[in-house]
Amino acid sequence: MREKIARRRFFFGRLSSLKGMKMSVKLINPMNETPVRVSVPPARLRSLEGKTVGLLDISKTGGNLFLDRLEQLLREQFHVASVVRTMKPTFAKPAPQVVIEQLRGADAVIEALAD
Amino acid sequence: MLFTAGIPVTFWPAPNHKAVRTFWALCGRSEFLRLCVYAPCDSPNTVLELGHPAPAIPGLNPGSGAALVVFFETDCPTCRLAVPYLNKLAQGARVIGISQDDDAATNAFVQQLATAFTVQRDPGFVLSRAFDLTFVPSLFLLGSDGRVLRSHFGFDKSVLNEMAARLQCSPVAEEFDGVPNSKPGCMSRHLEPQVDGESGPAPVTASARGVPASIMEIPDGEDPFEYCFRTFGDGLPVIPPTTERIARMLSGVSAERSNVIARVPPCYGEATVEKIAANAVMAGCVPDMMRVLLPLVRAVCDEHLNLHGVQATTHFAAPLIIINGPIRNELRFAYRQNAFSNVARANSTLGRALQLILLNIGGARPDGIDMSTLGNPGKFSYCIAEHEEANPWEPFHVERGFNRQQSALTLFAAEAPHGISEHTARTPEQVLKSISYALATVWTYRLCLGSDALVVLSPEHAQTIHRAGWSKQQAREFLFENTGVPLRAYEGAPDAEGSQMVTKFQEILIDGDRCYQKFRSPESIRIIVAGGTAGKFSAVIGGWVAGPRGSEMVTYPI
Repeated sequence: MREKIARRRFFFGRLSSLKGMKMSVKLINPMNETPVRVSVPPARLRSLEGKTVGLLDISKTGGNLFLDRLEQLLREQFHVASVVRTMKPTFAKPAPQVVIEQLRGADAVIEALAD
Repeated sequence: MLFTAGIPVTFWPAPNHKAVRTFWALCGRSEFLRLCVYAPCDSPNTVLELGHPAPAIPGLNPGSGAALVVFFETDCPTCRLAVPYLNKLAQGARVIGISQDDDAATNAFVQQLATAFTVQRDPGFVLSRAFDLTFVPSLFLLGSDGRVLRSHFGFDKSVLNEMAARLQCSPVAEEFDGVPNSKPGCMSRHLEPQVDGESGPAPVTASARGVPASIMEIPDGEDPFEYCFRTFGDGLPVIPPTTERIARMLSGVSAERSNVIARVPPCYGEATVEKIAANAVMAGCVPDMMRVLLPLVRAVCDEHLNLHGVQATTHFAAPLIIINGPIRNELRFAYRQNAFSNVARANSTLGRALQLILLNIGGARPDGIDMSTLGNPGKFSYCIAEHEEANPWEPFHVERGFNRQQSALTLFAAEAPHGISEHTARTPEQVLKSISYALATVWTYRLCLGSDALVVLSPEHAQTIHRAGWSKQQAREFLFENTGVPLRAYEGAPDAEGSQMVTKFQEILIDGDRCYQKFRSPESIRIIVAGGTAGKFSAVIGGWVAGPRGSEMVTYPI
């Protein structure tokens, strides 16, 4: 019985609080149920010293000003080993694979989002 | 089974909406192992050996010169993506398209995508088997002696350019034109399981088989309307998608309920026929509306529209649906008075169903991924139909390449309508001038070249312009040449949006004033006719970021 309730809780989400009540109306789930692969985020860096930092400009106005200053601070105050600068061809679409690949070796990436 | 005790089995073969079907079909083939181990995108996956003679293709003599042979399916998004590039290639080289689908689907594909190359069918998949392809699109570069020089499956710009070079053509694909550099294709039709025999008619709406929707049960004592209102809604009550209502809704189409029509950005949820039907029920659609909803979901996920960006931007954009053709009257779409309003069940429920699909399947929750700063009332429902009977010119879908009798839908990433009153002007110039002043404000006044616009002419304004003998194209060119932003608007505002980009703008004279031209070309301004026959009110609707780097209008047949 416990198994049955647990399974029901898994399937019906918020309906789980109503376990034990008689079920009647049946609905087709209209929500997204596509299986997805979940990735675990990497551990946070304790220090930036000696690390490689990627700076991604999404090509919005002013992004270069922000990232120029950030690069300067990273080099002078945080002593990063290197900075990788790259840019999306358009802010209106996801980054193409070639841009992702340029950032792949970085220990951390900072993205200049908007204007 | 994909489904075990109601739990969807998680697997992720490829970011492709036909991946599930491909996976299962390939499991039965020895190539699957080879594919898993070796499958770089540029491996040909065909037993045809390079340098060996290609199988005979009807109408192609081996000694008649080099040619590129392309196998495609009409419902394969990657094949559709490749067509504009193949059209370019066909200007300087011989390209032969081979459709794996039936006449109706092939003709619709040819008409819709305006293919510039010869297309022939492959009845019984005779050629597909002879070339032994596994995926579409499959490209075979044949030398002048009929031998296979190069083969490739899927879409890849660098391969297309390489083949173009070998055919003595200039490159056809730019790196950053808004289309991904490469994209995997779909499984060849002749390898798909067919319920009525391998030579049976190709499914028109079938794309892939998705995970069946789970069943949710509402207990006695819980009001189903309240439950659905809380769980699925757009802030308004919805009709509970009960199994009985879904069954009635599915009677409107012949497609199998687990077929995937598209993957809806930004979360790329599988829009199966039954999930589309569930959202259609909630929106209040009649079963016949499924005829429109299936192509609509395909269209909204077309990469040219860039739904990923439209659904996640801070801008106002929402997909505006424009319906054309006989379906307007068959399903009672409103196109007379209150064309944008709450006047007809068809407009209201179709627009709402699309929005519910984008919310519930696409995952663009207005309190989450959809980051629009102010939003758009069109996100409840945004669907109009053209008043073709009051349009003195060709209907909009004819301008977009369809026959008048073909029903079609168009999608435009749109702001809310901006009304223009012009009740006293008597000439086309004066009416269009009034509209051009509103057009100049699209996106923001000082920014030019950034977005496209839709002009919705009222029947009375259209008549005034037409009566003077003007064509729609003349009206569009007049608007293009007379819409600009005076240079003085930039004085004292060096940091304002648009001011820093003036070096890219084109300077023109409008009525003696030095101005920057607002739009990139006359084609950036689209004109439709809608609304009641009384009232000289038209509307301008601004778009989102225009062109291949943003969102492009798409038109699909119904």
